[in-house]
Amino acid sequence: MEEKILKKTDIDKLYDELKKDYNFYAPTKVQGNIAFEKISDAKEIELDYLNSKVPPKDVLFPQKETLFEYRNEGKDVIIEERKDLEDKILIFGVRPCDAYSFKLLNDFFAFGDFQDEVFLKKRENATIIGIGCNSPRQTCFCTSVGGHPFQKESTDVFLSDLGDNYLVEAVSDKGKVLLKGLSWLGDAKKADLEKSKELAKQAEDSFTTKFNFDLVTKVLDENFEHPVWEEISESCIGCSSCTFLCPTCTCFDVIDENDEYNNRGRRIRVWDTCQSCLYTLETSGHNPRPAKIQRCRNRIMHKFSYYPSNYDCVGCVGCGRCITACPVNNELRLIIDKILEIEEGDKASA
Amino acid sequence: MTEQAIEEKKSESKEWEPKIIAFLCNWCSYAGADLAGVSRIQYPPNIRIVRVPCSGRINAYFIIKSLTDGWDGVLISGCHPGDCHYISGNLVARRRFAIIKELLEFFGIEPGRVNFMWASAAEGERFAVLVRKATEIVKKLGPNKKFEKKW
Amino acid sequence: MGLETENKEIEISLREVARGLLKDKKVDVIIGYKKGTLPLLSQPIIIDSEKDVDKLIWNNLCYVNLAKYLVPRVPRFVDSEKGNLKVGVVSKGCVGRALIHLASENKIKLDEIKIIGIPCNGVVNRQRIEMEIGEKEILEVSVSGNSIIVKGKDFEKEFPFDEYMNDLCKGCKIRKPPLVSKAPDLCVGECEEYSNIVDEFTDIEEFDSKTAEEKWEHISEALSVCTRCYACREACPMCYCNLCFVDQNKPVWFGKTTDLPDIIVYHLIRAYHMAGRCVACGACSLVCPMGIDLNIINRKLEKIVKERFDFTSGLDPDVLPPMVDFKMEDAQEFMLEED
Repeated sequence: MEEKILKKTDIDKLYDELKKDYNFYAPTKVQGNIAFEKISDAKEIELDYLNSKVPPKDVLFPQKETLFEYRNEGKDVIIEERKDLEDKILIFGVRPCDAYSFKLLNDFFAFGDFQDEVFLKKRENATIIGIGCNSPRQTCFCTSVGGHPFQKESTDVFLSDLGDNYLVEAVSDKGKVLLKGLSWLGDAKKADLEKSKELAKQAEDSFTTKFNFDLVTKVLDENFEHPVWEEISESCIGCSSCTFLCPTCTCFDVIDENDEYNNRGRRIRVWDTCQSCLYTLETSGHNPRPAKIQRCRNRIMHKFSYYPSNYDCVGCVGCGRCITACPVNNELRLIIDKILEIEEGDKASA
Repeated sequence: MTEQAIEEKKSESKEWEPKIIAFLCNWCSYAGADLAGVSRIQYPPNIRIVRVPCSGRINAYFIIKSLTDGWDGVLISGCHPGDCHYISGNLVARRRFAIIKELLEFFGIEPGRVNFMWASAAEGERFAVLVRKATEIVKKLGPNKKFEKKW
Repeated sequence: MGLETENKEIEISLREVARGLLKDKKVDVIIGYKKGTLPLLSQPIIIDSEKDVDKLIWNNLCYVNLAKYLVPRVPRFVDSEKGNLKVGVVSKGCVGRALIHLASENKIKLDEIKIIGIPCNGVVNRQRIEMEIGEKEILEVSVSGNSIIVKGKDFEKEFPFDEYMNDLCKGCKIRKPPLVSKAPDLCVGECEEYSNIVDEFTDIEEFDSKTAEEKWEHISEALSVCTRCYACREACPMCYCNLCFVDQNKPVWFGKTTDLPDIIVYHLIRAYHMAGRCVACGACSLVCPMGIDLNIINRKLEKIVKERFDFTSGLDPDVLPPMVDFKMEDAQEFMLEED
């Protein structure tokens, strides 16, 4: 049988074996929050978690990343490219929404003529082990964006929490090869598969937040200048928590740092946010998005209108982090409701 | 240089001497330093002097940027209160110095790294004495490790 | 008196005052708080008619410092014909202080606002509760007696309010907005005159007595998760610079990365810029997406300006803030002197 069983007590055995070949990243508690970090001990793994504060995109697209380093030797400038892009990475215990975000990130970094080598090489060498969500939160809405709490598609290996054990299923070729190497895993029984399907159904039925994003995209495309945006952006303080915790946000700033005293320098990229008023400030002094209303609108349009046009899918994975993070509670569900009210208003007056 | 070369260079030096950047106000302290030199009064060569028009020109950014750039100590010297060439520049600066000192101490960054003094144009000997004192304080603290960025 | 009763009374009298102000056209709009969609949050709300007054609430989840919406003025507070509208601001003590301090910095005109004072009894430390509950979803939060009761799918936990309120609220001595003698019409509702505030700063005594190494350990560990999102800066009513010092690139002063020295320097300099201006509202910590709680820095700033310059921010719009003032007799014990 292809499906295997991993006992919860055997996680450290799994870690000890996999750490030999992979840089092992797993959810672990850091300063009170769950974060995906490279662990050095299986005890640090926390698989019974809601979701991490910062999404696992941080592993492949970190907050601060060196693009290359250079040093001066006499009259020459020697550029040192990254040497660690071929290292094998394993990200353990990723929720299906975050796993799907890797597909969206891949689409972005591999778009057209601009192939972002740094991200794509790492993605190629990364193996994702996903885990299903037995109890989605009230703020989760992955089913509205084509996702599912037990969606396996974007993972290489998928785990289902059955209580004392995990059901282990290989999804991709990479995953099949990985499982072959773990021959000590027990075989799954039919009852285990049934239980996993039952948990999936239960989780799917428990969603309280549901949207029709096709309709949302249509309304957004037709109402760029609608006065509803004033209402939506009113209480926003531009703190950018939503963009920093979003699994699909990809904006970054490139900075050159010089260490003159040691004759070297580096080019790095750090996360940037469209919610900052400096984001679109041009050298001439002109700023196409000078006010908060334009920046608030841009974020919603980007996720739910421009992404569908460019990539044929909604640019959101339904993780709900922006909803729980917003300090003024200007949350996505209220925003979508207000947008859909335009449609209802139009219908009523028609 | 490579990371390795930098480490080697650091461990090479026989006895570590601190590098202290000194911001001296043009009218009093810079002239006082000049007087010390002319009078052949010896003071430690660890300080590198930057001339500013008045101690009130000193922005907190100068002090903190010096520390992040790798300087082991910062010394700021101006005219005595009441004697500022621009009347009240040093009085404005004094409040800033107080806040910086308290905040550095609160953050656990050794407050001895940043020192402030008053020295007038006629006080060459005093200038040398206080620079000697500041250098000793910084020397005891050791190299500036807290602001080092590891690449 | 239990929290629920207190909050209910505050809410009732707040709505009375708001209704009166709108009815008599003493203000054009009122900004306050309304119930949030998530158990531990509230939302700011702007109302301009009496029928919406019942949406205004007061509970211990009202975190945002509403003074932020006045500098710069949100579009709803500006009318194309009338110009700046008269805004009523539902103010806890710290919000009132922020408004008065901004007036002393000439960013607000006091005759364009009305401070609706409420006797704040503290706000809940949302992040601390979330961290204690851990990886379980919180579905309901209520107050009873002097506890906060947090419920989820299969758990219920009680937290004593006095311990789980925001650290700044624990040491707060200015719970109602200050009355301003030169503007007697400015404050309605519950406001108070503060002439001599006695503050021992006992809450930061313990931290202050640590050695330099221990302080550095504590602060650098707490700040190591900072992700440089600048939510703290955006939530602070006093951070209104058009170009923040970290964003300056002519010259570049400090790094924007998440290396520890860069993070420490950002928070150090922001604290320096807050000396004599911070009103200790705690919005910076309550807004942080990573849950960093460095309210001890805010309290330390208050202590420094009180002890050195006998100044408390936000009490009098005519008093110069300490960093733009000087006195011949300022203390200078930190200056290097000959032995």
